[in-house]
Amino acid sequence: MGEVIVITSGKGGVGKTTTTANLGTGLASLGKKVVLVDTDIGLRNLDVVMGLENRIVYDLLDVVEGRCRLKQALIKDKRLENLYLLPANQTRDKTAVSRQQMIDLMAQLREEYEFVLIDCPAGIEMGFKNAIAGAEKALVVTTPEVAAVRDADRIIGLLEAAEMEAPRLIINRLRPDMVRKGDMMDIEDMLEILAIDLIGVVPEDEYIVISTNRGEPAVLDRHSRAGQAYRNISRRLLGEEVPFLNWEAGSSFMARLRKLIGLG
Amino acid sequence: MFSSTGGDTGAGTREGIVIPAARGKPGADTDNHTFLVCRTVRSGQRFKYPGNVVVMGDVHPGGEIVASGHVIVMGTLRGVVHAGAEGDEKAVVMAFRLQPTQLRIAGYITRAPDDEGQNGTGEPEIARVQDEAVVIEKYQPGGEKRWLSRSMIQEEEEQNG
Ligand SMILES: Nc1ncnc2c1ncn2[C@@H]1O[C@H](COP(=O)(O)OP(=O)(O)OP(=O)(O)O)[C@@H](O)[C@H]1O
Ligand SMILES: [Mg+2]
Repeated sequence: MGEVIVITSGKGGVGKTTTTANLGTGLASLGKKVVLVDTDIGLRNLDVVMGLENRIVYDLLDVVEGRCRLKQALIKDKRLENLYLLPANQTRDKTAVSRQQMIDLMAQLREEYEFVLIDCPAGIEMGFKNAIAGAEKALVVTTPEVAAVRDADRIIGLLEAAEMEAPRLIINRLRPDMVRKGDMMDIEDMLEILAIDLIGVVPEDEYIVISTNRGEPAVLDRHSRAGQAYRNISRRLLGEEVPFLNWEAGSSFMARLRKLIGLG
Repeated sequence: MFSSTGGDTGAGTREGIVIPAARGKPGADTDNHTFLVCRTVRSGQRFKYPGNVVVMGDVHPGGEIVASGHVIVMGTLRGVVHAGAEGDEKAVVMAFRLQPTQLRIAGYITRAPDDEGQNGTGEPEIARVQDEAVVIEKYQPGGEKRWLSRSMIQEEEEQNG
């Protein structure tokens, strides 16, 4: 039985799709059998970021409405053997599926895959509710901006109300240089406000833009700093203790971490 | 002082909005009832209660507590609190760290200064209405009984025999 993890944020454009593509690819490159599910019906992106757009024949809606079998709609990744994508439909909207249909679909997928990663749409409406319906765990993505953190807090509250396991936080697009100058919220601030566990910090990295446009997740690139961060998060998802890199954390955060693990 | 205590709110968390009904005898003065919120109150969550509210946790920005009586936050208050929401000007708001977005007591409103910065002393503080304005002071345990309503003190005295 696999784990079903939803990647969500509240606010749009903070990196849910980028994170789903990279963690899925990261986990698959560590040998796990992974399926990515795009639930952003009407605004699908994950196929493009994965470079698989041209292979779509059937989509999630075709599956839940019985026009095809699940197997027929799953697209195999071009690079990795054990990575699949279930694309979203692009012509309808979020009301086209029901919560129960999502729960059933996820139950079916987890039978066969070790990880089911769900790319959640922005917002707190139907699309969000559907995306979390069949998930047991959640990763909340935020950027170091007050509005994004506020929305993340809202989402965490909704996840708690839905009685999901405590979500873990990914901070995306951090710029250590700006944090040092005091121009950007630091990790401490965000963790204090959100009061959930951190699973990783992804720096701002222009390579993400290049890789997104090419349809090649950065996690496969040895030289990308964001890619390195996503590799670390993938391993943490497998339960490995991967130390936080220096730039991943402000100095006070590192000090506290050292204290926590008995080094300080 | 508190004649009854509500449980945690697990049941009513639909949409994060909880409006528990006051417990106790029908027709009893609900203002002396206290509801215990054993959780972090996050953005978009709102608790409303006809009585006092004690939060064992933080109230985040975008979170809201509305009570007809006092509100005590055993943690950091960063959201919005309305104490004495039905007009009781003797209601107070107390928090370990009092940094609300906005504070309302009865009909009085105060808000955080616009020049942000870490306001608050890091010590427990208490807010109440004094001379037609909300004032915030360091909380002194047992030092002040002014903020307890008369009826409560009387009740206590009766109980003490
Ligand atoms: N670490 C990063 N460094 C630089 N650019 C990034 C980073 N993460 C994401 N981006 C860019 O930010 C934009 C939004 O990312 P993405 O599409 O993953 O967000 P999203 O949360 O899925 O958005 P939506 O809410 O619209 O679904 C993209 O153009 C992406 O390339
Ligand atoms: Mg997206």
